[in-house]
Amino acid sequence: MTRYIIRRIISVIPTLIGVTFVIFMFQRLIPGDPAIAMLGEHATEESIERIREQFGLNRPLFLDREALAEGDVAGFFDSQYIRYMDRLFRLDLGESIHRRIPVLETLALRFPATVELSLLSMILAVVVGIPVGIISASRRNSLIDSVSMVGSLVGVSMPIFWLGLMEIMLFAVILKWLPAGARLSTGIELETITNFYLFDAVITGNWVAFKDALSHIIMPAVALATIPMGIIARMTRSSMLDVLQEDYIRTAKAKGLGGRIVLYRHALKNAALPVVTIIGLQAGTLLAGAVLTETIFSWPGIGRWVYDAILGRDYPIVQGGTLLIALIFVVVNFLVDILYALLDPRIRYK
Amino acid sequence: MTKVHPEDFEVTDFAVREHRSLWGDAWRRLISSNTARLGLFIVILFVSSATLSHYFWKYEPKKDLNYSLKLKAPNIRPNEEVDSIHIFGTDKLGRDIFRRVVHGGWNSLRVGIVAVGISLSIGGLIGLLTGFYESITMTTAERIILYGITGLILGLLSAWIANQYFQLIFFLGFGIAAGYYQDLLAGKPLRMIVFGSAGLLISVIPSLFAGLTIALICGIWGILTGVLLSLPLDGKFFSNVMMRVMDMLLSFPGYLLAIAIVAFLGPGLGKGMIAIGIVGIPVYARLVRSAVLGIINKEYILAAQAVGEPHGRILIRHITPNILSPIIVQTTMGLANAILSAAALGFLGLGAIPPEPEWGAMLGDSYRYLTSGAWWAVLFPGLAIMLSVLGFNLLGDGLRDALDPKLRM
Repeated sequence: MTRYIIRRIISVIPTLIGVTFVIFMFQRLIPGDPAIAMLGEHATEESIERIREQFGLNRPLFLDREALAEGDVAGFFDSQYIRYMDRLFRLDLGESIHRRIPVLETLALRFPATVELSLLSMILAVVVGIPVGIISASRRNSLIDSVSMVGSLVGVSMPIFWLGLMEIMLFAVILKWLPAGARLSTGIELETITNFYLFDAVITGNWVAFKDALSHIIMPAVALATIPMGIIARMTRSSMLDVLQEDYIRTAKAKGLGGRIVLYRHALKNAALPVVTIIGLQAGTLLAGAVLTETIFSWPGIGRWVYDAILGRDYPIVQGGTLLIALIFVVVNFLVDILYALLDPRIRYK
Repeated sequence: MTKVHPEDFEVTDFAVREHRSLWGDAWRRLISSNTARLGLFIVILFVSSATLSHYFWKYEPKKDLNYSLKLKAPNIRPNEEVDSIHIFGTDKLGRDIFRRVVHGGWNSLRVGIVAVGISLSIGGLIGLLTGFYESITMTTAERIILYGITGLILGLLSAWIANQYFQLIFFLGFGIAAGYYQDLLAGKPLRMIVFGSAGLLISVIPSLFAGLTIALICGIWGILTGVLLSLPLDGKFFSNVMMRVMDMLLSFPGYLLAIAIVAFLGPGLGKGMIAIGIVGIPVYARLVRSAVLGIINKEYILAAQAVGEPHGRILIRHITPNILSPIIVQTTMGLANAILSAAALGFLGLGAIPPEPEWGAMLGDSYRYLTSGAWWAVLFPGLAIMLSVLGFNLLGDGLRDALDPKLRM
């Protein structure tokens, strides 16, 4: 097992380097001069030049062949990319161009908001999706099966931003049951420790804030959960159906075991593998899908923040945010692979 | 004695039944399923309404403007307030939403088709080649091409540093030679030394004219190139490199990558198509590759190789037709995904440029008026997105069952 893990870690490294490379390229290729973006349109030539010098923007992108022609080998490698990698290794993500706040600081504040939302959506998707899939599989071709499978396909086809808007219309505008945006109502006090509001409210025993935070998170979480819910339900069903055809299921039934035990003990356990994979893959997608949900519900998470930064040419934020999202994506996939190998020993020896 | 003709007898051969083609069978299975029929109906409805309206129901978005009809609720017959009929209501500029939804279909479907076309053609080609050469030994000519291209790409750096682009010819020649003389000292450390020094020579000699330090760096690069080219590169190497690149693309969540690409290219429907298309490339590459790997060891591929069919012919005549089913299914579902992504981009203001009608952009335009009660401006474009995506998904689902009875659940 250790060997397998080491092999997987090594295979992740080129991907990570590639990811940092792609992010670097994006941030440099997006049209517009960052120095001008920093100083505004009316900056003097001189101050632009100074900023370019200060942030190393006057250096070449990868390698400096002019420096080499003058015999300066160190200058040859002194490029924007090398400096960027150097900063990255020191965990220096720079500061926002417009607001002058360190990116890492804002990230620490906004990241929990996105994770809280994604986590709750994932729990919703799993808690609803897996039972629906099991019931569909066990009553194959029944009315329940058809309804839930068409329903899950509707979930997969749902434009989440539209669903979010419809929720707002129904529950916030017409029925006035739930608030339409933000994480907490104004006037509600909450002592933040981890910035996971629900969690913070529980550990400080602040039930008023807990109820308020829950009422804020429920609509975006449902909107975000629809697509993974549908995917998980369909995956559970097809995986269960595969397993239910196996000989050992027939044996278990022939032994006289009850349908429930066969379904949950024998079938579900063996059908779990593909479901685990799809849950892992969806976790990454959730983080990204949060861009849309966060826009609609004015949720102060990273998706929205990165999107605004792309439009506002705030490069350090774009870089830090996308790097974090991509990193989580890679790490989650890695963990899923490991989990998969733990659950199915055959994979380790391939 | 009477003559007996075989035609006089009624012959029933139970072993022979009416000829049924593979695709005919699949079609019958497809339309026998209720959900697939529904999907087909939705898809035909959207495709025909979009196409017909585009050609026969003229609409000029730039001139469509009527403030006196701003944000009117749907009506079925004219009333005292609105003297024209707007079954879906009107938007913030007094435009008929029904008309814009129907015309928006043309844009959304176009984005879907072009984006899937981009992902399928590039991703499919990558998948075919990587899957094929991963399992089948390359011919000498193919190996020479692989080595030549590798040499050329590596030579780019040296040529750029020295600012002597004629070096590329040397590197190309070097690569071709390395591919051609693959048996030379095969497996011996000496091979590495010979090729390393050859690489050193071709990069250092021209670089010396550019300067001493440049020659030094180019020389080091030349040695590395030579060492790499001395290794036995094969289809697995090619496949590994391509798949790592695909992994890299896949490690960005879809929307984010599409948003970033559009931010780089600038907004617009065409740019959106390209962005969504690029995001889809690795999906198709992986799918096609695994499909190829699934059939590459089948007897008919072996037979084709045994009778000496060229690789290109095997790929086109024997492999492609046999992996068509998963590709058709994925393409149908990919269309659904592309429409959804296009709508998301449009909603964020990165897709179609207003006043061009597009479902996502229409939503993005009107959602601020939701709080003032204009639900129709949000409901109908969104319904159009959901229904069209659902149609393609239902059809794709039905196609999977119809084309691959083994997978049938």
